[in-house]
Amino acid sequence: MSINERDVGKKDASFEREPARRVFAAELRECRYQFKEGDDEKSPTFVLLPTGERSNRIYLVGTLTEKQRQGEQNLFYRGRVVDPTGTFFVMAGSYQPEAMQQIAKIETPAFVAVVGKPNIYQKDPASSPLVSVRIESINVVDKETRDLWMLDAAARTLDRIDAFARGEGKDVVTAKEQYPTLNPAVFKKMAYDALAQIKI
Amino acid sequence: MDYSENAERISRKFSQKGQTVDKKKIENKLRRLVDEFGVLPSEAERSVTNDLAKEFNIPTLGTSSGSGPGSATEQKKIADAAPGDWVTIEGKVVSLSTPASPTIAQSGILADESGAIRFIVWTKSNAPAMTEGSWYRIESAVVDEYKGIPSLKVHSGTTMKELGTTDPLIPVPVQIKDLHIGIGSVRAKVVQEWEPTHDRMLQSGLLSDETGTIRFVIWKEPGKEQLEVGSVYSAFYALVDEYNGRLSLNLTTATVMQEEGDIPTISGGEVAIHGAIVHIAPGSGIIKRCPVEGCNRALSRQNYCPIHEIQPNFVYDLRIKGWLDDGEKTHNILIQRGVVESLTSITLDAAKEIAENNPLGMDEVFLRMRDILLGRYVVCRGREIENRLMVNSCERLTFDSGEHAALLNRAGGAS
Repeated sequence: MSINERDVGKKDASFEREPARRVFAAELRECRYQFKEGDDEKSPTFVLLPTGERSNRIYLVGTLTEKQRQGEQNLFYRGRVVDPTGTFFVMAGSYQPEAMQQIAKIETPAFVAVVGKPNIYQKDPASSPLVSVRIESINVVDKETRDLWMLDAAARTLDRIDAFARGEGKDVVTAKEQYPTLNPAVFKKMAYDALAQIKI
Repeated sequence: MDYSENAERISRKFSQKGQTVDKKKIENKLRRLVDEFGVLPSEAERSVTNDLAKEFNIPTLGTSSGSGPGSATEQKKIADAAPGDWVTIEGKVVSLSTPASPTIAQSGILADESGAIRFIVWTKSNAPAMTEGSWYRIESAVVDEYKGIPSLKVHSGTTMKELGTTDPLIPVPVQIKDLHIGIGSVRAKVVQEWEPTHDRMLQSGLLSDETGTIRFVIWKEPGKEQLEVGSVYSAFYALVDEYNGRLSLNLTTATVMQEEGDIPTISGGEVAIHGAIVHIAPGSGIIKRCPVEGCNRALSRQNYCPIHEIQPNFVYDLRIKGWLDDGEKTHNILIQRGVVESLTSITLDAAKEIAENNPLGMDEVFLRMRDILLGRYVVCRGREIENRLMVNSCERLTFDSGEHAALLNRAGGAS
């Protein structure tokens, strides 16, 4: 099959996009450490997963159970996307007009695939931090896509746990420092429980 | 002022070469240059010497007219000739090409064992025509560059003589990753053929060896043949230039020979990437292309082609540009019409229908395709070129209960 050379483009192809990590809600919920590499205003911000991997972006599939329109001047949407291990808190603001339009027309409950950026919020110093996901895109999908994501998320989680146990990866040391009380083995059980919920 | 001393010096130079010159005439020439034209005496002496040298055809006496560093004519190997140099080179004409302009008498490629360089013989130089396959000594030629490619210019001050040697010069192919702007020889496989983007283009596509890939182009010229996809070729003395910011191999004037057998290429052929489509980029869906033969550029909403301007008789096409993410790396993907049709179940005709009858027009096609594909797991097969996956086939992934069972075992194992 022949390729149209005009579509090959030039500069945009050299851009490295941050990969979207696969992580269950129960693991993302435990994130407390957020960092930036480089001093540039545009350098990406990462959330450190307890299993020892940085994440600038995540991809998740679950059930959108609730969505809420908030704000008057600065309209934004908040939603809850549930997987077998817990809940992802997702939001789309006026800086994500496409994501807002997408979430606006989804009727709950529905299986949704979400691509977005995780962030750690703290309402005030006294309250406990909350991890939320700023939506880049949200789309209604079928159950099979949800099941495929569960396999994918479980496999990636187990890969991270193995790498953590071997002490591999540049973020494992930081994870041990930042999350001294967390034993990644608990996420293995979590993955098992999630997988066990898939009905064939 | 007395010029007898300078004249004497000049005449001595020529008598050494067996030529007799009129000292009085030289003196007069010098006087004229200095007194009438205000030329410095040293410059005048050189100028007169050069004139006479040309008259008697004694190249070594003429001094180069350039000034400053690098102006001296040095005998050099081709690989050492840098733009700005005045050089004397001995090399073999390995290729001749059709001159692009009447001001050029001959153009082609000159090679020695160190490398090869493009050369141009100006018509004004009145140089004798060179023949392909012969060795020449070219004295006082200038090296300059055009679009970053060094080129040897034979001008009226250059002398050239054919050498009797018949050294069989054997070019050494380099690996694709080691090619640089100029002239290069490679041994590579044609892994892809692209639609020509110009009516003078005979063929363009992609060559690959185990170190990399490079675009190639062959322009239409009598006797030129297309290369076969999947075959291995040795291309000697191809022009390496830059196109769209990447290196490109122009094989029009190269010696291209088909080779037996196969060689490993960088990706070993196709790659298969399993992942989720995490973004569908603008410019996906149904698009309009410029109808001018060989152009095929995507038009703007106003049917505007950056080259051919307004094109009301555009041609519709389908494509998907986006990102496929496997959790470790995000791959830029480009999906062509046939694959888009089978993946989305929206044919080009159906998409046209939507675009022409729906209030949202072409956007409606984009939105429908986005809703079908975004967030879905697929496997895309194709070739990765410059960080972009050119997708040849793409299918939705399906749930694999065997994988499910294996993961349950893995997660349930000893912790």
